[in-house]
Parts: sequence; structure tokens; C-alpha cells
Amino acid sequence: MSALRTLLAFLRRDFLIEVSYRTSFLMQAFGIFFSVLIWYFVSRVVNAPPTTPGLEGVDYFAYVLLGLALLHYLSSAMMSFGGKVRSEQMTGTLEAMLVTPTPIGTIVLGSSLWDFLLTSIKVIAYLVIGRLFFHVVIHLDSLLPVLLIITLTVLAFSGIGILSAAFVLYLKRGDPITFLVASASALVGGVFYPPEDMPVWLGGWSRLLPITYALHALRRALLRGSRFADLLPDIRALVVFAAVLLPLGVLAFRFAVRKARQEGSLVQY
Amino acid sequence: MDGGRAGAASPVAILAERLSKVYVKRRSLREIAGRPFRRAERITALAELSLEARAGEIFGLLGPNGAGKTTFLKILAGLILPTAGRALVRGIDVARHDQAVKRSIGFVTSDERSFYWRLTGLENLEFFGRLYGLSAGQARSAGRSLMQVMEMETLANRQFMSYSTGMKQRLAIARALLHDPPVLCLDEPTRSLDPIAAKHLRRFVIERLNRERGKTVLLATHNLQEAEEMCGRLVVLDRGRVLRQGSLAEITAGLPGRDHYILLVSGLGSPPADPRWSVEVERRDGTLARLSASVDRDGRAFSDLLRGLLEARGTIVSCARREPGLQEVFDMMAPDGERREP
Repeated sequence: MSALRTLLAFLRRDFLIEVSYRTSFLMQAFGIFFSVLIWYFVSRVVNAPPTTPGLEGVDYFAYVLLGLALLHYLSSAMMSFGGKVRSEQMTGTLEAMLVTPTPIGTIVLGSSLWDFLLTSIKVIAYLVIGRLFFHVVIHLDSLLPVLLIITLTVLAFSGIGILSAAFVLYLKRGDPITFLVASASALVGGVFYPPEDMPVWLGGWSRLLPITYALHALRRALLRGSRFADLLPDIRALVVFAAVLLPLGVLAFRFAVRKARQEGSLVQY
Repeated sequence: MDGGRAGAASPVAILAERLSKVYVKRRSLREIAGRPFRRAERITALAELSLEARAGEIFGLLGPNGAGKTTFLKILAGLILPTAGRALVRGIDVARHDQAVKRSIGFVTSDERSFYWRLTGLENLEFFGRLYGLSAGQARSAGRSLMQVMEMETLANRQFMSYSTGMKQRLAIARALLHDPPVLCLDEPTRSLDPIAAKHLRRFVIERLNRERGKTVLLATHNLQEAEEMCGRLVVLDRGRVLRQGSLAEITAGLPGRDHYILLVSGLGSPPADPRWSVEVERRDGTLARLSASVDRDGRAFSDLLRGLLEARGTIVSCARREPGLQEVFDMMAPDGERREP
């Protein structure tokens, strides 16, 4: 309960900072609209029929719209944990927080919470803009499975993000996790094009990335209205990713904190 | 000297026992490539530091940069783990129970950036209050009350970025007091303040925090005048080692060197000369001369100087001993060839 109250304090802090920039929300909303608009015109040029292997019966614009939306979650997880640790180190606020009795795990989680909330709003905005302005058909009858998939996706991505934060704490710069996972996800994760359309030796790597399963399941649920049973294989894969990545991230982070306290480099950057 | 009101029977607030911290310097890729088998350099920040700060006193950690003052404070704050030895705050081991210790101490750094610049002073205090475990209402109330104590109530709703350096430093102290800790660790709190703001802050710590609220204050400083003014007892550190500790009188007792006196003498021709003292006439006003004298601490030299002045037909109007500054004390304690700029 106390941890929850502390997390709410982080949300309030970041909300107050966000609204202190007068045009921030407006610009972000315009940014999402323009991004959707650009991909709408790209999809008209690509003009891939829904029968294209990997598109699973949906048109290319709907396919990429969901890819873009989920890529935001991945970016948030990747950038938020490590990025916040680094920026708080640089401004000196990390030290000020670490001398309080709040556990460091709560501090890192709390610092990233606003980004996840904002990303969730952005993801909804992508879908709403797609639906209202570009007539993308969104099926909402599988809402519960969709929420489950999103939760598992966020947990799995957070594991990677916390791992990235551990690298930031220990190595300061040169975090290889963000670069590797973000690049690989964009390249072979099925964000912009189906991995099935790639050479097998390259597209095969997509099986090692949680975004592949998250996108596959979400497209089926939201764009095709698939039932829970059809989504189960992807959900199982996401459970495995979350079960492995989250504890791994937490363990690595604990190790990094201990090493940084031993080296006296907890607040160095 | 003004601070440090604790009696000898006061309980111990902070205890360090043979506390050591050795940093292993991380080697760059270039160094590893150049000398792959070379052992990483080890830097001793603290070497078997032992000290005891009593509850309710202002205790000073004095030393030049690199003496180990900040390392010690960061060990107390749980930011750094010691290599050996132990440190206790109110009887609790900081390495084992850092969360419990953090509830007992307030930590103030000289880093004025450590706030959210786009939030107001009060919003900052409310946020940090929540991290100290206060409820939203308690954090708001503590923030408002501390803003008042810090004489900043009119600034409470102004963004932090508009604060002057002095205001930022006062806000940092307010933040450290949010959870009303019995122990306050101040790491060079006046470093970036102008002399007037620094004096104001020193008086505030002595009168409002130490005397009125009974806070134990651990002050790390390389400002000698500040340590003299504020601390009842202190340790003098150099490269992680304790050179001396105790009250200023205890620290200066038995040190080699000379005592300094200011004398007003009338009717004096020329002052007596002797290798055991040097006397300078600072000013003459008619027959009255103001003398500055440095005299060997051998017990008899000062008496002989006074006798010499009287024999030179002088009348001693007044005589005042000038306490040695800590700079002089530090110079006297540092081994030859090891003196450095503070």
C-alpha cells in the first residue's frame, strides 16, 4: 500500500512536470497524427494485398498501425528505465532520492510509470485516429485477451528495460541491451513488414523477440477479432518471456546496485 | 566556536569503528589494451577511521579535497558500502540496515541541481516527503511548515528554477528535515554561497537546528572558519586518515609552533629582540604602539617577552591571545612536504 502511494507520488510529479510545458501534450498529439498520416500514404504506395503472406488477411496500413503503436511500448520500456536512471543521475536527483528510505526498485519503477501511462494513451490514440480518420476496423469483442496480452507484453519489455537500467548503473554508457533489442525488434519483429517475407536465416531471429508474439496476438485480436483459444500460443510465449526476462532484469539490477555501492559509483554518470 | 553543546554523558549518535573504504579504479579499454596484466589501481578514501559524534552536538569533518569527508557521509547515507569496519547511526549498522538508518538521517549535499526545476519549491518538498514515507497531507504540511522555518514561505509556489543559489541551498536543508531526522549530515553546505548567505546559513544551523531542535549535525567542510565557528568537536582528515580529533583546544594542544598575541604598549621605544619571538609594530598612535607578537610555546618565552617590554620602559595597556586558525593548525599537523592547498 505504501509502495503504491509512493508510485502515485511519482505519477503526480511527472504529470506536474509535463503540464509545466504548455504545448507538450498538443505537440505529441499532432506528432501521432502526422505519424499515422505518413504511414497511411506509405501503405498506399506499398499497396500490399491482405493475402500477402504474414499480413494475415488485414491490409498493410492496419498492419503497420499496430506495429507502430506497440513499438512505442517497446521504446518506453527500453528508454524509460535506463534513460530515467541516467537523467536523474545527471541532474543529481537520483542521489537525493537514494538517501530516502524508498527502495531503489520503487524509485526506478516509479520514475518510468509516467512514460508507460503516456505510452498507453498514445497507443489508444493511434488506434482511435486509425479508426476515425482512416477507417481501420478495430474489433473490441476480445478486450480481455487484449488487456492480458498488453500486460504480459509490458512485463516482458520491462524485464528488458530493467536489464538496460542495470547496464546504465554499472557501465554508465554503452548499454548494449537497448541497441540490440530495439534494432532487432524493428528489423525482424514484424513491426513494419512480416518476418515471413524475409529470408529464413534472418526472419527466424524474430522467434527470439517478445514483440513478435505480442504483435501477432494483438493483430489477430484487434484486427481480425480472433478468439482467446486462437491467441493462446502467443500468450504462452509471452508468459515465458515475462517469466524469464523480469526476474533476470531484477537480479541484474540488484547486482548492479550492489556493485555500484561497492565502487561508490551509484550516482556517477 | 559556537556549536557542539552536548555533554560528555550524551549518547552516541554516530559511531565509526576502523572504517575503511578502498576504491578499485576501473580501467579504461585503452589501459587494458596497453597493459592487459597490470593490476587495477587501488585508491584509499578512508583508512581505519574511528570517530564518535554525540547526540545533540555539531561535529566537524575537516580536511582538504580528497580527505574522505564525502565518502564517510555517503557511507552513512547508504550510497557507498565500506570495505572494512563499521559505521553506526544511533546504534544501527548502516551497511546492514541502510533503510532504517535513512529514516534517522537527513543528508544535504552542496549540489544545488538536485531538485526538479520545473516544479515549485513546495511541490519538490511534497514529492520528497512522500519518498520519506509521509502521506500526501503530512508531506504538504511538513513542506509548508519548513518553508516557513526557512523563511521561504513567499517563494513556496515559485518554480525551483527561479530560486537563487542561497534559496536552493535552504530548500535542500528543508528537504533533509522533512521526516524530522535526529541526525543531519551537511556536505559543504555553504560551498556555493556568498559570505552573507553563508553566515546566515551557519547561524540557522547553530541556532534553529542544533540549539532549538537538538539535531545532531555532522558537518563536512574544508572551510576552516566555518568549522571553527560551528563545531564543538571535530576530526581533521587527510587522505582518509585522521590527523587529530577533539575540541579545537585539544587539537591545538601540544602542537609545535608559536602562539600569537596582540599587545597595546605605551611609551615603548623599540621592542626587545630574541630568537624565541618576533615582534612587529603594526601601528603607532602617539606614544601608543600596537604590537603583533609570535612567541615560541616553550613556557618561559612569553614571560620573558613581557619582562623585555617592561624593561624597555613600556607600559602594557592590554594583551590578547589570538587563537590559531585551523589553517595554521592543519599546516602544523601535516607532515613536511605533504602540505597542500585546501
